[in-house]
Amino acid sequence: MRLRRVTLQHFRNIAFADLTFSARQQFFVGANAQGKTALLEAIGVITALRSFRASDNRLLITHGQTEAAIACEIEHERFGASRVVIRLRTAGKEVTCDGERIQRLGDYLGRFPTVVFSSQDQLLVRGAPTGRRRWMDSTLSAMDGAYLRSLQQYHRALADRNALLKRGAQAKEIEAFERPLAAAAAMVVQQREQGAAVIGSFVSAAYSRIADGAEPCLFAYEPDALLRTEEAWSERFERARQRDLVFRSTTVGPHRDDYGLLLSERPARDFGSEGQQRSLVLALRLAQLAYFREKCGVEPLLLADDVLGELDPRRRERFWASLGSERQVLATGTRLPEADLGAWEVFDVASGAFAPRPEGPAR
Amino acid sequence: MTPAFEKLQKQLKQLPGLGFRSSERIALHLLVEKPAKLRELVQALEEASVSVRRCSRCGNLAEGELCAICADAKRDPSLVCVVEHVPDLVALERSGAYRGVYHVLHGKLSPIQGVAPEDLNLPALLKRAQSGEVKELILALSNDVEGEATCHYITQHLPAAGVKVTRIGFGLPSGAGVLYADSVTLKSALEARREYS
Repeated sequence: MRLRRVTLQHFRNIAFADLTFSARQQFFVGANAQGKTALLEAIGVITALRSFRASDNRLLITHGQTEAAIACEIEHERFGASRVVIRLRTAGKEVTCDGERIQRLGDYLGRFPTVVFSSQDQLLVRGAPTGRRRWMDSTLSAMDGAYLRSLQQYHRALADRNALLKRGAQAKEIEAFERPLAAAAAMVVQQREQGAAVIGSFVSAAYSRIADGAEPCLFAYEPDALLRTEEAWSERFERARQRDLVFRSTTVGPHRDDYGLLLSERPARDFGSEGQQRSLVLALRLAQLAYFREKCGVEPLLLADDVLGELDPRRRERFWASLGSERQVLATGTRLPEADLGAWEVFDVASGAFAPRPEGPAR
Repeated sequence: MTPAFEKLQKQLKQLPGLGFRSSERIALHLLVEKPAKLRELVQALEEASVSVRRCSRCGNLAEGELCAICADAKRDPSLVCVVEHVPDLVALERSGAYRGVYHVLHGKLSPIQGVAPEDLNLPALLKRAQSGEVKELILALSNDVEGEATCHYITQHLPAAGVKVTRIGFGLPSGAGVLYADSVTLKSALEARREYS
């Protein structure tokens, strides 16, 4: 898909912006804290109606305002020319697509895929399991409303069970909540297992392209327990109940899952070099891109937040080549990219205002 | 605004569904615009507070010992439909499809919101189930985590034999097509399919 125009109002520090894009690559250049990332963040919201940075949509509304609005005009492979308007309010959000109000999130998910590359991505390889889980959860649920629902049910039931454990409730009451918990756990594990297999194959392929086949790379689901049925989980939660009552918290379940990243069969987190880890991060994002494309048949937008400068020339060249020529890239940086990255449509960013440079990519 | 007015507004605001503006509007309406109505309202509140109570058998609203449904000899007392709240009962009654009696729990188990078994109208239900009068319990609780857990909790505490337990079906709404149903609804509709004759 191609983003033709984006209009923002009261989004973070951007009071108002109306940008029209004609080229395939846009570059937003400016000092720090001027609104570059906010723009990418706003565009990213069209995918799953949440920000890639903030966990709470209320943070996206300009301080002192009651509503932030994002309007995008998109050239779409399946829907043709589309117009999406998203209004974020302190209490909830409203989405219209070509004038039609979206009633159910499940109907909307997966229509407008975007993938974000940010400097925070290093944590996917080096950081705690939470980051990898969140990344996989957002990747799977952006394309599959059923997964999102299983996950929400799981977390709801988990919070209920934990509340009972904290109170030291009767076994029968805890058991009552283990039933929906087990049903949701089985669904989540099944869907994660399937999703990780697909994404894993994309990760391996992308890594061998970027690193030029130097070493084999493996992305694998590492579940807390690979139980696929409700009965198995019920039994597992029951067995853990005594211990959980002591810890006052649920100690087994998919909320403790992880995903392993191996290079030549050794954990990339501990054994990977700086360069290998960087390549791996790119491979993860490229895999996400490929997954979205396969799932919804739409070419995702690539939002590169201040990452192009971090790559060394060779890796950057391979990365760029692996993107293909059809994808739209919107990138930010404090300096303009080198000319070898092709022609950019350049915008200067200062204090939440965007000014196009008429003469094109000047050095 | 006067102190007495503010006190009234504060009381109104604590009622479910009312915010600051609507409570202010109601208070003004009662005190200034239609003061004649106020007497009637106070009277109705007093009357209701004295005469309306929970049915001793099922928890529905009643003005005597039993509610109108439990007292109705034409209803089948061996068939008991368990619901969360009184409005759920009213909705089922409106369907006109049910000739049994009810049991209102006045909530569902929710540890996060601090609702424990002792906060629900459960002992009366278990007593009814043990009395031998009940042949079938129909669980008509909501289709979410807490509803599911409450159903399970009830079945754990029922006597081992004698009472058949069913749960209402979850599936396509009337008049709707398969195409527009979400995948979770379709899954439960498939699981709850029945023989067609």
